[in-house]
Amino acid sequence: MTGMHRIVVDAMGGDHAPEDIVHGAAEASLALTSAEIILVGDAAELGRLLPRMRHDGARVRVHHAPTWVEMDEKPAEALAAKPEASIVIAADLVARGDGDALVSAGNTGASVLACARRWTLLQGVRRAALAAVYPTELRRGEKDDPFSLILDVGATIDATAEDLVGFAVMGSAYAKLVSQNRRPRVALLSNGTEAGKGPPSVVAAHAALVETTELNFIGNIEGLDIPRGVADVVVTSGFVGNVVLKMLEGVSETVVRLARYAHKERLAWRLGLLALSSAIDQLKSITDWQQYGGAPLLGFTHPFIKAHGRSNAHAVTNAIKVAHKALAGNLCGNIARTMAELDERSSRRPRMTSASESGASEARASESDASEPGAT
Amino acid sequence: MRSRSLLGRMTTLPSRLGQRLGLLDHIPDGLPPGASPPRHTFRWDLDKTYLRTEFDSLADLARSAVETAADKQAYPGATSLLRALRQDGHRICIVSGSPTQMRQVLAAKLALDGIAYDEFVLKNNLKNLLRGRFRSLRAQIPYKLPAMLQSRIGAAATAETLFGDDAEADAIIYCLYADLIAGRVSLQDLERVLTASRAYDDDAVRILDLARRVPQHDAVNRLFIHLDRRSAPVGFMHYGPRLVPVFNYFQAALVLYSDRVLSARQVIFVALEMLDSGQFELGHLATSVQDVIRRGRITREVALQLSAEANDAAQSGALSGRSDLPPFEQIAEAFRARIRELGPSDPAPVEPASPLDYVRLVDEEHEHRRTRRRHGH
Repeated sequence: MTGMHRIVVDAMGGDHAPEDIVHGAAEASLALTSAEIILVGDAAELGRLLPRMRHDGARVRVHHAPTWVEMDEKPAEALAAKPEASIVIAADLVARGDGDALVSAGNTGASVLACARRWTLLQGVRRAALAAVYPTELRRGEKDDPFSLILDVGATIDATAEDLVGFAVMGSAYAKLVSQNRRPRVALLSNGTEAGKGPPSVVAAHAALVETTELNFIGNIEGLDIPRGVADVVVTSGFVGNVVLKMLEGVSETVVRLARYAHKERLAWRLGLLALSSAIDQLKSITDWQQYGGAPLLGFTHPFIKAHGRSNAHAVTNAIKVAHKALAGNLCGNIARTMAELDERSSRRPRMTSASESGASEARASESDASEPGAT
Repeated sequence: MRSRSLLGRMTTLPSRLGQRLGLLDHIPDGLPPGASPPRHTFRWDLDKTYLRTEFDSLADLARSAVETAADKQAYPGATSLLRALRQDGHRICIVSGSPTQMRQVLAAKLALDGIAYDEFVLKNNLKNLLRGRFRSLRAQIPYKLPAMLQSRIGAAATAETLFGDDAEADAIIYCLYADLIAGRVSLQDLERVLTASRAYDDDAVRILDLARRVPQHDAVNRLFIHLDRRSAPVGFMHYGPRLVPVFNYFQAALVLYSDRVLSARQVIFVALEMLDSGQFELGHLATSVQDVIRRGRITREVALQLSAEANDAAQSGALSGRSDLPPFEQIAEAFRARIRELGPSDPAPVEPASPLDYVRLVDEEHEHRRTRRRHGH
């Protein structure tokens, strides 16, 4: 299959699966002429749905999987109980070379775990990182992208300085390709902007990023800088990233609830909101995560795009397009090359040491089920 | 395309000139006296069925009008399929909605592709314009239906297979034709359909007359609709199992193999042309097989039988000189793997069609066309 990118899609994962997933894949088959889409799931059900949608029958195929992981299942338990679940078979297809990338809107923990157990890490990458996107004030790149990338948001619990540097390299490579941002601004999330602020792993990572990488590293940023869009790529450990992401989502939901309250409470407030409605609509369209499609799990030899669990067909199409872009732009190859260069530069300087490194947990968060990573 | 004497050519010159200018209608010759009727007639539309034609906008129309024969592109696999169908003395009849003034360039294109045909009917839109019949410019049923009936009156085959596309009303016209010659549509019903399709009165009278005279037989057992617009296949389910929407001509070849019209070797030639086009890879062809099985248009057993027979054909030289392809056994295994990916359950068979309400279908098609125009498609 020369020149053809085979994108495996877990058709049974997501709140609106399989209808919206199949619909999104069908749309993608029309938009991406150099892609083949492999829908993994109940063949009878997918075979019933696909002919109802406009698609290219030579570019969408079905691979049967008899079971699937529900959104609220415990990842490790679900994968143990369902070895033929759609996400497991989908990850297997990619692992054995029958697919090039994976897209799923299903259970995040199970998806990450399925990939982690079957896929191999890129040379030089110690830990994979799950990224998430967050809308900000600033636009970036040739696409005027309003989203910044935060990683890791839960693929690991703790991260050493070396892990954080790896996350920075991977996040920068991704932003360069997907947001078409030539020099993404990379920052470490800390409790102060000074180089010496933060836990030892962050301090050591700061030094390493300055000395050994050619990234556009802008130093440390604080939590309030994330929604401002000060950095295009925000690097942090999985534990902190997951807490930050959930908090940002919580704040966003609270703002919406407050607006609804204001709408009901007073006529003047309602009129005020009405006057602002077109601006609010515009803002919604700019920050619509469905336009972005999904966020990546970075560090493996294949791209995995995790679409939001609530993804509709449009979001799924965009997630597939992101996967296609990652393949066409050789994202994994670029990360591997940069990591190799970094490794070479690091070998010329004294090895990073930090208190956190010795105590870093080697176990992946998803392996232990301690965290339910919440991408996007 | 029989050769004619010089005298014959001289005497038919005025009528040919009139047809060329679009002042006279081209009436197919039919069979010569004493000739035995064809066993199988294949009727093909041209634009969006055989030829990749864009006429969704005025610019597309203008571009299409000035294209030379060499510029025009056939869909991958269509040429090999048409050539294969022409073998064994089958009859090829082309009925196209292109204007008669395009005859020369279209005939040249078919000649370039090595396509021989028995009839080639084009739409006389100049005559429609001169007579102020503007409805006829776009109308399909009052044009294609009589052309096909006239053709069948001239040469009635025991079996017919029709090829159209999803851009216009081909599915309705072909099914109406099939049911008409099978005696399943009465003249009264036909009259109502013609009224719904806004045929002019004298055209309706002529079509009804042709319908009275056409040799009746349940001859049309297969209709193919090329999904040029990538329409959802389920939109054609109500036409029943005889109508097969296809995404490409490999799928049509598979169904014709299943119908015992094509051999495995001929299917291979269709596949090779598609691969040579650069628009398809082996994986696309394997996925196309899976798609027609999933939609219940061929069975797994037929696909596996084709794989076995194609192996024999490959060993007898069907793939000779194709060093660009992997060994046939490897290709066949990839195809079999694609079938296995469907798991254990068989697709539900396509339900037999209940009698079609053609008046409603025509009304829906008109509404659909209006909607498309409103949205600029």
